[in-house]
Amino acid sequence: MRRPKKYEAGEATQYISRRAAIRKLQLSLNDFRRLCILKGVYPREPKHRRRAQKGSSEIKILYHTKDIRFLLHESIVWTLRDYKIFAKKSSRDRAIKDFRNLKRRMELFPEIKLDHIVKERYPTFIDALKDLDDCLTLLFLFSTFPSLHLIPREQSNLCRRLTIEFLHYVIASKSLRKVFISIKGYYFQAEIKGQKVTWIVPHYYPFKPQSRQEVDFKVMSIFVEFYTILLGFTNFRLFHGLNLAYPPQFPSTLLQDSADTFKDESTFVSDRIAALNFELLRTDKVQEDEEEPDIDMELLEQDGDSKRIIKMKQEAQEISRLRTLFKGLKFFINREVPREPLVILIRSFGGKVSWDASVFAGATFAENDETITHQIVDRPSLSTQYISRDYIQPQWLFDCVNQRQLLPTNDYFLGESLPPHLSPFVDSKRDSYIPPEEKALHDPSLIETHEQSEEESEEEDTAEKEEEVDQELLDAQLQLAYQQETAEYKKYGGPDGVNEDEEDFSEEDDDEEDDEEEDDDEDVDEATKRKLQEKEKMSVQSGKVHKVNKRQVHKAEVDEHRLQARMVKPRHRNLFRKLIREKQTKEKEEWLLRKKRRNIDADSKEAKKTAKREARKLAAEAAARAAKMVK
Amino acid sequence: MTAVEPGTKKKRISKKNKSAWRKTDIQDVEQFLEDQRQEERVGTFTEKQDEDLFVLDSSPLKAKTTTVLSIKQKRKLNAKKPMRTFQPMENTSKVEDPIVKRNHVKQKKNGRNIELEVCNPTKPRHRQANSDRGQYYVKMEQRLADKKAKKTNFETDIWEDVDFRDKIPGLKDEKGWISRDLALHIAGNVGKKLVKTHASMHHKTIKGKKFEAPHPGMSYNPTLQAHEQLLSQVVEREEGIIQKEKHLKRVTTSMFSKVTPQQRDERRLMEMSAGLDEDEKEEESEQEEPQEADSSDKAYRTINAAVERDAKKSKQARRKELKQKELQRKTELKKKLKQQTADLIRIKSIRHELDDEAEDLNDLKKRRKQRAEKKKFEPKRLGRHKFEEPDVDVNMPEDLAGNLRNVKPESNLLKDRFHLLQKNNMLPTTVAVNRKKSKVKRFERNTHKDPGTSYQDLADRRRAAAKAAKQTKDTIKI
Repeated sequence: MRRPKKYEAGEATQYISRRAAIRKLQLSLNDFRRLCILKGVYPREPKHRRRAQKGSSEIKILYHTKDIRFLLHESIVWTLRDYKIFAKKSSRDRAIKDFRNLKRRMELFPEIKLDHIVKERYPTFIDALKDLDDCLTLLFLFSTFPSLHLIPREQSNLCRRLTIEFLHYVIASKSLRKVFISIKGYYFQAEIKGQKVTWIVPHYYPFKPQSRQEVDFKVMSIFVEFYTILLGFTNFRLFHGLNLAYPPQFPSTLLQDSADTFKDESTFVSDRIAALNFELLRTDKVQEDEEEPDIDMELLEQDGDSKRIIKMKQEAQEISRLRTLFKGLKFFINREVPREPLVILIRSFGGKVSWDASVFAGATFAENDETITHQIVDRPSLSTQYISRDYIQPQWLFDCVNQRQLLPTNDYFLGESLPPHLSPFVDSKRDSYIPPEEKALHDPSLIETHEQSEEESEEEDTAEKEEEVDQELLDAQLQLAYQQETAEYKKYGGPDGVNEDEEDFSEEDDDEEDDEEEDDDEDVDEATKRKLQEKEKMSVQSGKVHKVNKRQVHKAEVDEHRLQARMVKPRHRNLFRKLIREKQTKEKEEWLLRKKRRNIDADSKEAKKTAKREARKLAAEAAARAAKMVK
Repeated sequence: MTAVEPGTKKKRISKKNKSAWRKTDIQDVEQFLEDQRQEERVGTFTEKQDEDLFVLDSSPLKAKTTTVLSIKQKRKLNAKKPMRTFQPMENTSKVEDPIVKRNHVKQKKNGRNIELEVCNPTKPRHRQANSDRGQYYVKMEQRLADKKAKKTNFETDIWEDVDFRDKIPGLKDEKGWISRDLALHIAGNVGKKLVKTHASMHHKTIKGKKFEAPHPGMSYNPTLQAHEQLLSQVVEREEGIIQKEKHLKRVTTSMFSKVTPQQRDERRLMEMSAGLDEDEKEEESEQEEPQEADSSDKAYRTINAAVERDAKKSKQARRKELKQKELQRKTELKKKLKQQTADLIRIKSIRHELDDEAEDLNDLKKRRKQRAEKKKFEPKRLGRHKFEEPDVDVNMPEDLAGNLRNVKPESNLLKDRFHLLQKNNMLPTTVAVNRKKSKVKRFERNTHKDPGTSYQDLADRRRAAAKAAKQTKDTIKI
């Protein structure tokens, strides 16, 4: 038997160094890099580096041998080799100044085709959507680039085109969920086919040149090359899902015959498309109304009212409210405000928008239109103002979308200092401690109470007022609950649905009774007598407030929890315990923090009070002294 | 008929001789007579019909095209002209070449004039080349059309469910006779092999969520709390860095004292000559020593003592040793047995010990597993450099404007993406290398040097001065 040699099996054969891979594929380093990025083959870290590197302990870039073997079959490899040949031949032509040949060769430049790779890397459409975050951010960034070294102009133009198309989809499908203005740029989160897709759009500032020390432009350009193809096909599928024509087209009804349109139709149309302000051409003639997602919810209802389903229902309700958030509102964007992010917001939630025609093509109405409800302004003052509209700062739109309701505009008026812009990516309903200031920001009803409570602290007779405030708060909460109930009732028929039917029945009974009365007049006396007797017996008793036995409720809760604990399967018991423990610690932490806060508040209140008292005392003394002096 | 310009006088020539008369210009008279004769033969204009004189021009008027030459055309025209640099070499003299029959050297033109060959082929090989070229152009057009068709224009749904069997004509299986395996086999042989993607194509480079939510303090108008939290994060990080630097400085730089080059050289000399000095000293000390040595020990000692075999053991000694060994073994065995019987009582505690040991091992295993699991969420070491978290983007409190108009964008999105790719193990961490260009030795050309003073110059100057002096002298004289 042959004695097994070292590094002929195991980890040593599993990995291959970059150098060896290049030699195997017969490519240059640049081509290899490109191939790997396009195919999604990334370097690996071995478990045991010395073993994987056949004894050497320096840190090399390693790949899986199987990955490299897989690359061998790729058709792109041949194109990459063709590049090498092309470069050689064309440089020869250039050297001997055979420009006729050079021109011919340039036309036959071997171009890489990546369609099959997209399909290969993302076997299903959902896979592609899951990986869209990076892609979108990069493309939005590149769409702002001028032509740079290693980044051709066509690439940035293509990026611009694809991102505009994607935005059209987002607007048409109303799938935007969260927005956030950060110092990095604008964060957008959309929900597409159940996948959360988040991307960042850079701030609209002039292009700032990059130093080549920090970023490898070539690598980024290759990533973008692949991502453009990915987004192109994704857009195609998304548009077809909405029955929109792809590439996006303009309905012919919107194309007015003017000198402008005739001069250069293609640029005219592309300008309007880039404006994001018009509905696109549909492939089906009938404009379908929005599909109702409630039907699914109704079906779910049969499974019982578990917490999750209730939560889902609420979510669905919120989203349906969000989709028509700006319906019926008409916005005008002032020229100093970045146009694109606002147009996306307004249009995707049903609002109408326009801007100064000199800023960008595609404005639909002028500033002096009296039907405008909101004008978005970002300057301290404005010379001419219309009474019929609200002058608000752009943050209002973002906050409205994040809160999923129209907020009062008075905090966002022209020249006001804005309330803080909260991140929607931090869950406002999280279990951990939320300071009262932040709570107030999320729930506008709490703002007033909070402010009021501050005012009270300054006054002496706090007790009565506090009670009043409590009452107000309770009223507000009751009202809110009532509103929610009615909203739910409207949506789903709600728990009162049955009652309504019963009422109908009782009415019918009454009718029947009336009929009977007409029929037999003879029994009238008896009937009236009986009624009179009943009437005498009838009485109204003062209503009692239903008292909730707290102890009983608590006991019921504990029992329920115990039952739940018993229902847990033995193999999940540890997990269950862990979850419970985590919950308890969280609650304890929250309680502690709240207590701390309460103490701090109380201390500060006390300090204020004493300060005031002393001040008053001093004032009184001073007054007394003055009186004495006068005497 | 010479046109006489109005301003000039007609030169008078004497008509004295016959020869002088011959010189007179009688062309105009003759022309007149000729015209008269012509009229007599053909008839006058007035007698002619219009149709005989004029032809109706039915062809469309050609619009006068102002020929504006493109830059390219101009360039081509210019290329035909002789080069400007050669203009001085042209013979512009009016004097004719005295040698009429000079042997002209015909300069052979550089290369062929392909244009000429294409336009008016003179040789059969030219014609052959032309026909070949024609064929090639047809082929190339076909190729270009193919290439255009190949270009991706996003007009298909690549995620559509398509059975590979539908594309191969014979394999469309309506009756369910062809199994999938068979179809796969045939497709491979037909040349449309179905490539199964490798599972590692879909491997995730890093565990965990791809989207990291931005810190709420990164809002353009953050709450005070969130912003302070973010700032404190930044400060903590920065302090860590400073501490590390401090440590490194203490361990490296400040460990060594600074010395002047002279001191360094001295030290080096001392260090290198350390042994030599000692030898000398030893010699000195040896000279002193002998007196002491004499007094203490006089026995001769070699440096390497000779190895001596031990005195051979006697048989008796061996036997005794063996016996001792046996005895020792036996006592040990006895002890062990005793221990075993004692352990029987201690069985419970032993079990405990074993359990403890097992638990320790289990713990270790668990911890290792945990560490491995945690490592899956962290950036890996793919290349020579370790990934380091980039700095946190934060607006300093004074930069917070509070409105969208004056936002100070703090981060570089491209850099951010690049680092994210590295963090997600898609790119090995690299450090840009500043390749130093080789130093170029520069010197001035002689022709561009500042003019120095040569002997010639000096002589010239002297001469000029003398001349000037002489002139002044002259003027004075006058």
